[in-house]
Amino acid sequence: MNPILHVKDLSKSFGGLVALQSVDLKAETAQIVGLIGPNGAGKTTLFNCLTGLTPPTQGQIEFRGNPIVPQFSEGRIRLLKASTLLFFILGWVWVPLFYSLFLPRTFFKVELVLLGIFILGMRCLMVRAFVEFKIWAWSLMFVFLLSDLITGLWAMSHWGTSIALVGAGFPFGYVALPWAIVAVPFSLFFMGLLLSRRVRLLYGFRVSPDALCRMGMGRTFQNIRLFFNLSVLDNVKIGFHGQLKSGFWQTLIRGRSQRQEEESAERAALEALRFVDLQHRTFDLASSLAYGEQRWLEIARALVARPHLLLLDEPAAGMNPQESARLMDLIFKIRKMGTTVLIIEHDMKVMMNLADNIFVLDYGEMIAQGSPDEIRDNPRVIEAYLGGGPSTC
Amino acid sequence: MPRPQEVNRSQVLIIGLVLLALMLPWLPFGASTNYILRVLTTAVLYMILALGLNIVPGFTGLLDLGYVGFYGIGAYTSGLLAIHYDLSLWVILPLAALNGALWGILLGAPTLRLTGDYFAIVTFGFSELVVLVLRNELWLTRGPMGLPGISPPSIFGHPLTRDWEFFYLIVFLLAVVFVVVRRMEDSRLGRAWFAIREDEIAAQCCGVNLIRYKVTAFAISASIGAMGGAFYAKWFKFIHPDMFKFWESILILCLIVFGGMGSIWGTMLGALILIPLTEILRAVLPQSLFSARYLIYGLILVLMMRWRPEGLIPFESAQAEKAKQTQKRLTGLVGKE
Repeated sequence: MNPILHVKDLSKSFGGLVALQSVDLKAETAQIVGLIGPNGAGKTTLFNCLTGLTPPTQGQIEFRGNPIVPQFSEGRIRLLKASTLLFFILGWVWVPLFYSLFLPRTFFKVELVLLGIFILGMRCLMVRAFVEFKIWAWSLMFVFLLSDLITGLWAMSHWGTSIALVGAGFPFGYVALPWAIVAVPFSLFFMGLLLSRRVRLLYGFRVSPDALCRMGMGRTFQNIRLFFNLSVLDNVKIGFHGQLKSGFWQTLIRGRSQRQEEESAERAALEALRFVDLQHRTFDLASSLAYGEQRWLEIARALVARPHLLLLDEPAAGMNPQESARLMDLIFKIRKMGTTVLIIEHDMKVMMNLADNIFVLDYGEMIAQGSPDEIRDNPRVIEAYLGGGPSTC
Repeated sequence: MPRPQEVNRSQVLIIGLVLLALMLPWLPFGASTNYILRVLTTAVLYMILALGLNIVPGFTGLLDLGYVGFYGIGAYTSGLLAIHYDLSLWVILPLAALNGALWGILLGAPTLRLTGDYFAIVTFGFSELVVLVLRNELWLTRGPMGLPGISPPSIFGHPLTRDWEFFYLIVFLLAVVFVVVRRMEDSRLGRAWFAIREDEIAAQCCGVNLIRYKVTAFAISASIGAMGGAFYAKWFKFIHPDMFKFWESILILCLIVFGGMGSIWGTMLGALILIPLTEILRAVLPQSLFSARYLIYGLILVLMMRWRPEGLIPFESAQAEKAKQTQKRLTGLVGKE
């Protein structure tokens, strides 16, 4: 079986400071994976790389079989970008050119040019509505090819190939038509491809954090990041954002599907709050919660979307023993739901009880990996923690 | 549905105020009725503008100093369409809104990646650019000569000329904008904006596409501003580039800061208080102290910032109120089951 998360040879340096150095990490489905290390070992940097917040300098991350880091060298990416831009500009310059060449007397009528641009946009959207991105790109190409061919031929049969605007008898139409056929469809083809995740990777775009979240990655933060001025319920509802679809018009019209979506968001949020036992604070502002409760709320917000992989960054910080016991129960429950949990924790007792597999980071290097018992007895781990300096845990 | 006894005091107050506003043209103010109506029409217009601007700095948390640019675009769209094509107001308003949204997207899509101050400066530059274009493109806008002779709007063939007719028109527009903004605030869209306002990184990790929602916010805000401008051109019947100077942006920003950034009622209240106040000061102050009204205006803002920096109705309390309403609704539902 494929691992749900596979980090290969990942490095990250900030200027001269090396935060991560060829880190390898693997997490299987429904496993609890621990990540430990002294302060400044690069644990949070690794989390940020995984969630797409920081671009890694080198290496590859695969999440549910999808690569999420650009795979090409910078020069190649630059070439790709430049050629795309060229096609893009050619395509859009074509619109006024089409009017000046095929419909010469109408070129200076601004309304008609605007209409042309409008129709162009509508055609893109129309095709977009039916199919997904990759097919969209191809169908755009064919739709444009056909309709431009027909329009062009029709215009030429009506006005002939000589151009009133230019005045000469040069058959510009024969130049413009192939250009139109090549430039526009191809520019739009590339635009369409640019929206698909794999191609965006080729172009050097990282997979953005929000796309990763929609792919099923949820996380909490070491220093709590809640939406403090919103109610607890709204906080959790925002966590459900990627699961909903309604956009501007649906919101404006408030049709049935939008109302159903809102209801489903509400239901999921209330359920998540019940799951972390926070339902009594549902309608309070997040800023009014106690520190421990804020931690629970963050977990609820990450959980509400039912992620495949949950990243917890020091969830037990600031919790008393009863609370961390409850946290352990909760994490076991989360695993039972089929979610993989990757957890950073300083509390060794919690970690030893929880984790199926522990990775140890020290100065950006993965120094050990194994079951809790193996880690406990590993001399390098003991040295990293107790070695040169004072103890950190 | 709320039972009659559940209707609380604030709802009664709001309904009363709305009725009062609608009856206003028929109250016995004598000769000053028209003056009062004109002042209130201005105030309601600024309420619309404040509601529109509020979406960007209030909901999404981005400082927008160029709002008046969209207002100007709307006004000139409306003026030019009215003069050259003699279109009806009901065609002009959506067209102006669309044009505003278009420019909002054109400006927003490349610049919304900037953060904080840089973005504010870009928007400021944009509004200055709009004024420069309006002033210098003589073939289109007649530049500093202004655009006179805009036909008044008409409803069912009846041209609006009297002050109360315009007053009702703008109150109707306010109602439309209010409903639109309210619906967006209480939806997936509004929640995404709030999330961006509160914490961009956390919002991203919750699946909110930052650029997309920022651009949406910017476009909607711009289209509301353009709609306000479209009404203004039809109402004033004359527009001039100087009407859309930077100062106007600051004024509208002041309204929403005064009222409470991010709360709908707050921004409306801010406009309703500050705009008539300038007019009252204009009437009360002697001619020699005429410009001192801005001094007083500034003083109010300074005091406000000292004692109540979050505005008359702060964002948090609006959110707390909303949560309370949700609680009522949900516990009502639970009770029914």
